[in-house]
Order: sequence, then structure tokens, then C-alpha cells
Amino acid sequence: MRTFIASFFRRNRPGRQRPIGLPRALHPHLQPGLWEAFFAALGVPVVLSAPTTRATLERAELISETEHCLPVKLLDAHLEELAGRVDRVFVPRILSLHRGFISCPKLAALPDAVRAQFRGRFEVVTADVDENRRPLEQTLAELGRALGFAPAESAAAARQALAAAAPPAAPPADSGRRRYLLIGHPYNLADAYLADPIVRKLEELGVAVERLPAGPPRGAPAPLRWDTSAHMLEALRARDPARCAGVIQLTSFNCGCDSMAGPYYRETLKAAGIPFMALTLDAHAALAGLDTRLEAFVESIAGRA
Amino acid sequence: MKPGLAIQPWGNYSLALAASVECLRVEPWTQRSTTPETLRLGVEASPEFACLSFKACTGHFIQAAQAGIRYGVMVNSRGTCRLRYYREIQQKILKERGLDLFIFGLGYDGIKPPLIRHFDPDPIPFLQCCARAQQKTLAVDALERETWRVRAVERRPGDATRLLNECLADLDRARSVPEIRACVRTFKPRFAAVPIDETRVPLRIGLLGEATLLRDRYLNHNLEEILGGLGAEVRNFFLLGDEMRNIFRIGLFSRNSRWRLKRLARPYLENLVGGHALDSVAHAIRCAQEGFDGVVHVAPAGCMPEVSVRPILRRLSQDLDLPILECSFDEHASHVGVVTRLEAFASMLRERQEKKPRKRP
Repeated sequence: MRTFIASFFRRNRPGRQRPIGLPRALHPHLQPGLWEAFFAALGVPVVLSAPTTRATLERAELISETEHCLPVKLLDAHLEELAGRVDRVFVPRILSLHRGFISCPKLAALPDAVRAQFRGRFEVVTADVDENRRPLEQTLAELGRALGFAPAESAAAARQALAAAAPPAAPPADSGRRRYLLIGHPYNLADAYLADPIVRKLEELGVAVERLPAGPPRGAPAPLRWDTSAHMLEALRARDPARCAGVIQLTSFNCGCDSMAGPYYRETLKAAGIPFMALTLDAHAALAGLDTRLEAFVESIAGRA
Repeated sequence: MKPGLAIQPWGNYSLALAASVECLRVEPWTQRSTTPETLRLGVEASPEFACLSFKACTGHFIQAAQAGIRYGVMVNSRGTCRLRYYREIQQKILKERGLDLFIFGLGYDGIKPPLIRHFDPDPIPFLQCCARAQQKTLAVDALERETWRVRAVERRPGDATRLLNECLADLDRARSVPEIRACVRTFKPRFAAVPIDETRVPLRIGLLGEATLLRDRYLNHNLEEILGGLGAEVRNFFLLGDEMRNIFRIGLFSRNSRWRLKRLARPYLENLVGGHALDSVAHAIRCAQEGFDGVVHVAPAGCMPEVSVRPILRRLSQDLDLPILECSFDEHASHVGVVTRLEAFASMLRERQEKKPRKRP
């Protein structure tokens, strides 16, 4: 309500079209395309941080809280890169992405933590994404008003953004070959620096591999209520052992969700008779080590068949 | 013979929790702190990245099952933290190891919690029992407060701890509300009789963070005693009596109600996050307002809520000029390492105190 009233006074506020920074880490991967489309519809230029590189990873280790998981550390490094280029960045408070589910609790403190860490370097624009409380469209419209746009403009931008947000990618055409499935949280799978070497290595080994696309969990929120974990568990339950050669889970060091969801994945796949391997990513991940584990996994499965 | 019921250990409050299940006609099976053996069993059985509290608790249930206990009870939170899944995963672990122990959750699915439905106590003894448990919880709170105060200034090191243990043993023997009240009345004179050094000015250090670690002497390497020995009057911000009031939403006007804490923390944190993250931030601000010399933030390594507010605590420490020591514990934490860090922290605080004495309220 307060933002609603304030929006009448702030309408046409000068500087509402100042560029806004969007890190190429964490939240844009959870809702691919959504935020870019929303700001574009409002006419706010979006400045994206550069894709993750070895240097980003090293920087993340230096500036971020040591006990964070890799994706949150990477977020800090991406934000730092934006610090010199824009004077405001967007970090939403993601509480739940799908009705009935909740998100990782680490995301609930993010805007405040970012504000605490980067105070004086940029302003943090935020919005509470909580599907259990209000639909995304309303969240977006409110954000638009808080940024100084008229209610009608904001609502139109919200609708455009939702329409433009990338629909979940269609599964690749079935070639009849048994495929490997790569699962993980969307922000790990979508980061080219983290996931691509693994996909490339598997392809080099001559096996077909499929990345689990980000998407909403469809069933009831049980036993897991964390949205991304529930989505993964559902995908694993739907897997047909005749089509799936093995599952590789990409997890990041110190991931709290995976520590609890891991036993469920393992149990499900054991019951289905599908081989399973968890690869842990951290800033020290040496490619040679990953290569060896992938080779061993693929070879042992080839030996089984 | 009465069947046994394994209760999650929670420091000195274990005896209050044990009192709460007496009316179920079961023998409570608990311990006042985790033991190395418990933790070893837990670490062996738990997922690698589960937090220390989970590992300790799992170990406790495994030990209980090995001792022939058939039932256990465990909180199942409705929050966002990992605690939500503890019970189910522990049950899975026990089953995988072929151990026959059923863990009841404390949640509701219907009118009665499943634990109550199973043992079906008579209503009057049940209510009496709840009253006893509540009185014992408050008694432990009072004991803890006395101990913190005396330990920092005692003349003979160890007096306060010895007395604390004696009092706890007395409290454990008390069987009715009047007996508990009589027992509580003896605490003050008994602590007053401990010879203290009045010339000593204790440091004031707040302990905040994750609840299990704040309360379990083994898991936190006996933080309270070490700091007390260094001449610091600690204040542990996790008191079960206060927490109960929050859980049952009756302490709307108490100083520690969620609503108050939320308002206090607002400039730094606008969300509950989960676990005790909001409490940590709010209590750190309160420590600064009340002129504490420093704060020790205690969390299991990788604790989801506590770790995510660490950048906020760091900023707050700079803004409010309040030294904060961040201590993370896992099964590899070395006792000597912890002691050294605390000693360094205390001597740094001492130096600050001499240079610029803080105003005391």
C-alpha cells in the first residue's frame, strides 16, 4: 500500500531510467529471461555482468563470506564487477518461486547481505518474489511502481515480461540412445563456466547427455518443499531406466539443500536401478579431477551393460 | 518395564524435556551434552554436508536404538531451514542400518500430535507434567543466568560450574511444582555464597547464533566456561523459556518477541530468513545498545540461515563499533584452536576496555 501511494508522488521521477545492473549469477538463472524482459519493457537499460571466468571465481573466493556456497560467492563477484559500471543493481528476495513451495533460505537474506557488503558502492533495488503470497505479475507491477513508473506502465511491463520469459526448453528429440542426465540447481547448470566442461567431456566420451531444464515442480510439495530440489526429485522419479544410462548431480560445496535432498535422490535412483554420481563444485575444482571421475563413471556403466 | 523414549539432547534443558514426557509412562533417554562417541556415530551415518547439529542428533538416536530404545521424539519445524527434513532423514538412516527406532515428530496432523495419540496419557497428569516441564525450563533459565554472572568473578575457578551441576541434580530430583519452586528459591542464596572477587570488572560478551550449538557444551567446546574463565560475563541469547513464549506466540509484549526483534533488525534485515538468523541480527544490535564489550556468533559450519546473515553482522559490527567473533564448528574443530581464538578475542576486548571504557547501563 505504501509503495502504491508513494508511486503517485514518484511518477516521472528524474533518473528512473538510469541503467540497472543485473549479475549473470543466481537469480537470472532461476527465472531465465524474466528480469531482462521486464526492465526492457520499462525502458530501463540493463547492464549485465560478464560471464563467469576463472578470474570471477578467484575474485569470489577473496571477497565473499567463506562459508557461502559457490553460487552465492559467484553472485558477490559478479556484483563487484558491476560496481564500477552502474549505480544500482537488482537483487530480488526470492522466497518462493512456485505456489506451495519455498526457496532456499539463503536467498531470503540476499538483498540485505548485498546491501551490507557493498554499501556506498551501489544502490540495491529489490522485490519480494513470494508466489505463496502474491503472484509474480503483481510483484513485477509493484516493482515498476517503486521504480517510479505509472501503475499502467508497470502492469503492462509485467505482462510483457511474463510473456517473454523463456518457456521451458523442449526435451531434445528422442534418438533411441540411452542418455545421461545432468541434474543440479538451475544457477549451476546454466552457468557455462561451471557446467559446460562437464557436458563437453561427456560428449567427448561419446555419450549423449541431457541437461535438466529449469522448470516448475508439478506435483505436491512432498517430501521436499524446496522448489529446485523438488523439481529434480520429480525428474528422477519420472526417469525410465531403459532410456537413462546414468544420472550425474552437479552440486556446489556447502549446498544446504543438496545435503538434505541427496538421500532422496540416491534412494529414488537406487530403486529404479539407475547409476548415480554426485560431483561437487567449488573454487578449487580442477578439471583433471572431474575428467577422471566422469571417465570412470561412464566406463563402469559401459562395463555393466 | 516402561518403554524408553529417546529425546533430542539440548544442553541443560534436556532435564526439562525429560520431565515433559514422564506422564507418557515412558523412561526418557537423553543426555546433557553430546559425547564424542555420539558424534562419531552421527558423522559416520550422516550426509557429508549436513550440519553439526544434525550429525549429533542422528548419533544420539543411533545410540538410543543400540541401547534398545524403540521410540524417539524430534521437533519438526515448519520453517525454511534444513531442520524441516531432519526427522525424515534420520528415520531413513536408522532404517538403512537396520535399527528399529520410530521417531515421532512434534507437529500436528489432526487434533493431537502423533506422540500423544500413541501413548495416550490421561489429561490431568499430562497437564501437570507440562506445568512441571515449564517450571523446570524456567528454573534452568534462572540457573544459567546466575552461573554466567558468578563464573566471571569467582575466586576459585570452577566453583560456579560445580554449583550449577549440584543445582541441576537437585532440580532433576524435584517431582512436583512446589518442590521445583522450593528448589529454585535455594539457587540465589547458594550462588551468593560463592566467594567472588569484587574488584574484578568482567567483560560482557553476548553469545548468539544457532540454538543447538549455543546449548550443547560438547559441540561448542564449552564456550561459556572458557569465556567465564577469561573473566567474561556471558549472556547466551538462547534461553528456552523465552523461545517457548515465542513458539506459542504468547509473549507478544516480551522483549524477545518476534515482532520486537523484527523491528530492531529492520535497518539491516527485512526478512525472517529462517532458523534464528533474525534473532542473531537483532540481538547483536541489542548487545551494542546495551554496551556489551563483544559478541561471539556461534553456528555449525555451513548453517544455512546463520551463514547467510554473516555479511550483515560484519557490517553491523563496523557501524556499531561492536567486535564480533565468528565461530563455526564442525566435527573437525580443534579444542585448542577454539580456546586460542577466544583468548585472543578476550584479550583484545580487555585492551579496548582499558583504552575506552564502555558506558554501562
